[in-house]
Order: sequence, then structure tokens, then C-alpha cells
Amino acid sequence: MMFGRYTGTFHRECGEILVETERVNGLRIYRRRCKGEPFERILVSETGEVIINPVEPVNLPTEITNYLLMEFSPMVIEPGATQTVYLKFPVEIGVFVESAKDMEVLDVFAPGSQKYTLYGSPTSGVIARWYTSAVYPELPPVESFCEGVMELSIHNASHEWVEVSRAVFDSTDMKIFYGDFVAATATMNILSANLAETDFVDAPLRPGMVKSVELYTARKIPVINRGYLMEWGLS
Amino acid sequence: MSFNVTEIFEIPIGIGNITVENLLYFAVILIIGVTVARVVSTNVRRALLERLPKNERELLTKLVYYVIILWAFVIALPQLHFDLSGLLVAGGIAGLVIGFASQSVVSNLISGLFLMFEHPIKIGDNINVSDVSGSVEDVRVLSTVIKTYDGLYIRIPNETVFTSNITNYVHNAARRFEYQIGIRYEDDADAAIRIAKEVIATHPFALKSPAPSVFVDNLGDNSVNLTAYIWAPARNWWDVRTDLLWKIKQALEANGIEMPFPQRTLTFADGLEVRTRAAGKNEREE
Repeated sequence: MMFGRYTGTFHRECGEILVETERVNGLRIYRRRCKGEPFERILVSETGEVIINPVEPVNLPTEITNYLLMEFSPMVIEPGATQTVYLKFPVEIGVFVESAKDMEVLDVFAPGSQKYTLYGSPTSGVIARWYTSAVYPELPPVESFCEGVMELSIHNASHEWVEVSRAVFDSTDMKIFYGDFVAATATMNILSANLAETDFVDAPLRPGMVKSVELYTARKIPVINRGYLMEWGLS
Repeated sequence: MSFNVTEIFEIPIGIGNITVENLLYFAVILIIGVTVARVVSTNVRRALLERLPKNERELLTKLVYYVIILWAFVIALPQLHFDLSGLLVAGGIAGLVIGFASQSVVSNLISGLFLMFEHPIKIGDNINVSDVSGSVEDVRVLSTVIKTYDGLYIRIPNETVFTSNITNYVHNAARRFEYQIGIRYEDDADAAIRIAKEVIATHPFALKSPAPSVFVDNLGDNSVNLTAYIWAPARNWWDVRTDLLWKIKQALEANGIEMPFPQRTLTFADGLEVRTRAAGKNEREE
């Protein structure tokens, strides 16, 4: 497992990902290689810790949105019903440097590819990171460093049958945990055939999982956790 | 000896017929005016916090503050038995002169205020206005500053901006662009469409939805012309446009599909006799 906190020099290599810090002529160098692309920074720090953990998947190739759109197999839900399902969501890996006084984002990378989409109309919709997943009744096996498992609890609070095949989340609310695998817990409250509220739950999927450092916390961007209102349809 | 407190108010202060009561009323109106001015200017400053740069916000706030105080002063002046008619005549003439002189300034100011509240453009937007294209550097009270794509600084009076057609290239979340791709008549157009779609699908910012569209648009003189419509995030569309076309061209060529050169097939009514130099020489010898 690559995720965790590191002091001094270290070397981690998992498949096509290499992350390390080493001393070269007295300088502490951070090096990363992913999909053959190298990245290097000199760290002027003696005591600073390097933190590697999964982060919100909306930063690559460049950060253009906060939203994540998960497309999944269509589900038809009866009024009042609640169902918990598992989806696979994309993962990006964030590297932070932390000292006693401050924390900074050093690097964000991902072995997987990215795709974006438009949710809503071109005039008033939002750009969102797009990802498709099958619907699993139980925890599915996931590809390490590429995907995580999202436990999605869907509740149909409306008075009509509703078909759902996508969920849009505001990634600024995203709480990611890691252990043997990467996980997040989310809720979707359906208000009508075209309207739903989504939000993340700040709790680990399994006991003992570690909470990831969020990019928004590291970047000191104040965020109000208010979820996201899907008003451009659910399928 | 009895003493009535209200009599104090009627004591003249020694300037004309002005009494203590007049002076008190004057002071009270002024104090109310200053209080109202402070409250209103504070709220104006708060309302414009996100909309205006600091300098212009402070200028506008001060303007509101002093206008309210002036208004209170004019209301309070009659308490001092001050004849405003002379002032009004002088003020009227001065106003007329100032009005004519500052006509364009006021027009720009009003247009600037409308622009700030209507929000057709924001700082950083890529726009075209009055035949000037570039990104908005600043929206000021009197003018809008645009940095052209060549890096030039252009100041446009707000009246011109407000009364012109404004094209904001990044106002919407996404926008569409298109390519024209010509292939040879002997190439498989279906294969070309499939390959182009595959290349577009690999680009992160070529949006999944609205889906890209590639189709045979027309049969040209020299080529079968395909059109590709691609949606991209409005702020990244140019990068996507410049990135994708060459990739599509390379992918097509890698699959044996080529862009034809202009060509023309000529048919001669009586046929065409071709003579080589050697044949001509032989004929002459005979």
C-alpha cells in the first residue's frame, strides 16, 4: 500500500507508479513516475512529512470543475423505497507536504484516464468529471490506485416511480477513506422524477479506515458542506 | 416667578430671526442625515463588495454618503431662514453647464452601473465587443479594459460596451466547435467516421455529453467531406480544438485514409492522342 505518511526518504513502487524521495548531493528530491510521465521537485525541508492519499477525482488533466457525475445501470425505484448499492468511482492520488505550521499540495496524479461531460444545458448546466460503473449489491473488487468503492444509499422520497441512472456530486463535500481499498459513502435523496439531493457522509465504510487529507483543506479553500441539488434529471 | 422651559427654544440667538428651536431643528436634521448617510453608504459598500474593485467601490460609497448629507443640508437650511431660491437659480445654471460638459461622463457612468448589475461580462471572460476581441481585464465605473489576444491594452468607454453587441465566448458552461475533414473518394467513409469518433472519445475535455457527431456532410469536388461537431468546456475549447485535429489526421493516415490534394479529371470529346518525343522524331524522318 502506497498511501500513508512518510518522513525522511522513502521509495514506493506499485505497478507503473513510482513515488520516492531521496537525497542527492544533500538535496531532498521528490520524484514520481506514473504512466511513464516523470515529475520532480526539490524539497527544502528537513522535518516536513510527505502524505500520500486518494483525493477528489476532479483535478486532472487540469482542474476545471468540482463536480463528479457517476453513470450507472438504470434502476427503477418505487415511491418510499430505500436501497444501498455499491459503485466504483475514479481515484486520483494526492501528495502533500506538511510541516508543523502549514500543508501544501505537492503533486496530483492518476494512472487512469479522465473524461468530462456536461450535466444540464450548455447555458446553465455544469461541467462534471464523468465515470461509469456497474451497480453492485456488495463490495466489488477494485483496481488499486485507479478506483474506489462508493456506498450509495438511494431513497425515493417522491410519490412516483423514478428511474435513476446517474448521480452528480459536489466533490468539495467528498470524504474519502482508505485502508485495504479506497472508499466513500454517499446519499441520494430523490425529491421528484427530475430532482434529487446528493451528499457525502463523513464516516468510514469499514472501521479502521483512515480519512484522506482533502485538497480543499490543503489549499485552505473555505467550503460549506451543503451537498448538491440535481435539477437536470436523474437518467 | 414661573419659568417655562419651552421659552428657551424661542430665545433668538442674535443672527436674524433664528431662534434656539431653529438651530436645534437644523442640528437634528443634519444628525439624522449623517446617520442615514452612514447606514446607506455602509450597505452600499457591502452590496458592492464582490462587484467592484476597491477604489471604485470607495468612490461610489463616498458619492452616496455626500449626496445624502447634501440632501439633509438642503432640507435643514430653511430652519436658518436661508432663502434657497437664489441658490437654486445659481445651482440650476451651474447644473446646466456641468450637465452639458459631463454628458458623456454621466452616460458612461450609468452604462457602467448597468454593466455591473446586468453582468454580461466578468473579469477574465473572453469576449468580442465593438470589433475588439480579448479577455476582460477590468470593468470600471467609466470604462472596460480588454487585453487583446495579441497582448494589447484597450480601454472601451462603458457606453460603447453597453450599446454594442457583446459576444461572451465563455459565458456558458460548454460550447461547440467543428472540423471539416476531407477524405479520398476511394476511402471508406464509415471507417473514417469510426476512427475520428474513437480519437475524440480519448480526449478528456471532448465532452461525453452532448455527444460528438461525425458525419458525411457533402461530396466535394476533390474529396468526401466529413464534418465533426464536438462539445468542450467553454474555457478549454480552444485547447481541445488545437489538440484534436492533428490527432484525427494522424489516426486516419495510420489507417490508410488520406486527405486528397485538389484534382480534376479531364475528358476530351475526341480522345487525346499522346505523342512522345521519340515517336514525333520517327514520324518526321519518315
